Amino acid sequence: ATTPLDPRVLDAMLPYCTGLFGNPHSRSHAYGWETETAVEKARAQVAQLIGADPKEIVFTSGATESNNIAIKGVARFYKSRKRHLITSQTEHKCVLDSCRALESEGFEVTYLPVKPSGLLDLASLESAIRPDTALVSVMTVNNEIGVRQPVEKIGALCRSRGVFFHTDAAQAVGKMPIDVNAACIDLMSISGHKLYGPKGVGAIYVRRRPRVRLEPLQSGGGQERGMRSGTVPSFLAVGLGAACQLAGQEMAFDAERVDRLSQRLIDRIVSQLSHVVVNGDRDSCYPGCVNLSFACVEGESLLMALKDVALSSGSACTSASLEPSYVLRAIGADEDLAHSSIRFGIGRFTTEAEVDYTVDLCVRQVRRLRELSPLWEMVQEGVDLKSIQWTQH
Amino acid sequence: LPRLLLPAAAPSGCFCNSNWALVRKPVAAATAAAYSSSSTAPADAPAGPPVSVTVIDKSGKEHQVSGQSGENLLRLLQRYELPVEGACEASLACCTCHVYVDAPDSADLSSVTEAEEDMLDMAPFLRENSRLSCQIVLAAGLDGMRVTLPQATRNFYVDGHVPKPH
Repeated sequence: ATTPLDPRVLDAMLPYCTGLFGNPHSRSHAYGWETETAVEKARAQVAQLIGADPKEIVFTSGATESNNIAIKGVARFYKSRKRHLITSQTEHKCVLDSCRALESEGFEVTYLPVKPSGLLDLASLESAIRPDTALVSVMTVNNEIGVRQPVEKIGALCRSRGVFFHTDAAQAVGKMPIDVNAACIDLMSISGHKLYGPKGVGAIYVRRRPRVRLEPLQSGGGQERGMRSGTVPSFLAVGLGAACQLAGQEMAFDAERVDRLSQRLIDRIVSQLSHVVVNGDRDSCYPGCVNLSFACVEGESLLMALKDVALSSGSACTSASLEPSYVLRAIGADEDLAHSSIRFGIGRFTTEAEVDYTVDLCVRQVRRLRELSPLWEMVQEGVDLKSIQWTQH
Repeated sequence: LPRLLLPAAAPSGCFCNSNWALVRKPVAAATAAAYSSSSTAPADAPAGPPVSVTVIDKSGKEHQVSGQSGENLLRLLQRYELPVEGACEASLACCTCHVYVDAPDSADLSSVTEAEEDMLDMAPFLRENSRLSCQIVLAAGLDGMRVTLPQATRNFYVDGHVPKPH
């Protein structure tokens, strides 16, 4: 859902909230020059983390805006020749909604299904690409089940077919090495508050060689290479830059630590409870995002029972909806299991004690709820729940 | 010869640091007068076979212009007093001379450099066949070329005012 600000990021941001308040686009005085220097330094820090050139980074209000710009912007620019887009069924809502908006403008969108592991089938992508395909958009790491898509292979395929490749890397940037050139990525969305930076800022990487053009969503004074008009919020940009720089520094250490804590969480739960499903491929994933389904336990009841731990069923942006997660449905999870799935997030500041507390609480509550569950009783007796004919009252 | 202060590269750099450069503008006295109103070729324009170009302005009206091989397209359009801006005077530091060309992949058209792409990025109403007219040099093979003017430039004179060539 989000991450706290790393205190070092806050340190970097504060001066730009107080004394260094100038508009970075003001060309004619020192207030402008000093903040412009800071924004350009932040731009370089973001670029360095992903192997890009600073000129290829455009600051936005977050990954949602970046996704909108990438998808709608590219589609509309090339609309005279290209009318088709491809994405996956497990993308973030802002990607899917942007695609739906384009469908109402007359574009065709192919929503590729995923394998039960959550990974995209490259053969299905290859057969979906048409001569009039403008863009393929596949996220690097899924926000609900943590699965990491084979973006290098997807990028190579798209490059060989002359189709632009966009990836929503909000959950991946800063947590694993990403190189936009090695992976043939043409556009990439970055979110500040997913890597211990501030909320309200993100970036979009737009390749310059070969040049990707897009129609801007926001009209105005032409800031950010004409792609995103509006004053760049210098203190937020500085925060994003500092967060990226720290992420590059801390990546190896964080990755090992998060992996260890993630294994600890899963092993301890699975060793104490039966009928637990780990959703999503565990080899190609970000270990800090763990999604477990507990059979015969009602999901909302479990979440309420685990109130003193910040967990979710489905992602934050779907937590208010009543239907089970579309991501879990796409990986073929049973509807009952989809209802009783919980997402555990582990990060830079998660402690081992917090993991142990969560495991104990979760095991206790699942056992309690299963005691109360007539379905659980039937499963214990060996009844196949699928064979039951439920009557309507 | 007049010496002019021009920004070396418009988008980056501040007013007072060393991004400003002194640029000597190679203008012969005769040509300065020629640029202001005549539609005959200036005295120092390169001689070559005539190249005719059709220019469609933003109201859809077509204009026929004729230049010479080797001549700069922007200067040709301005000679005919067509409403094309050229704020940086063809020094690849702005995007106000933005035009759409009908055959962007023509072999006779000079290919786009990265610097031109960078300037084009900032032009409003960009399309796949956008070019900066100051970077197009007429060639015999471009005879019959059709060029369309975009509905606006980066300058916000929404009353329709078009700055005269400097």
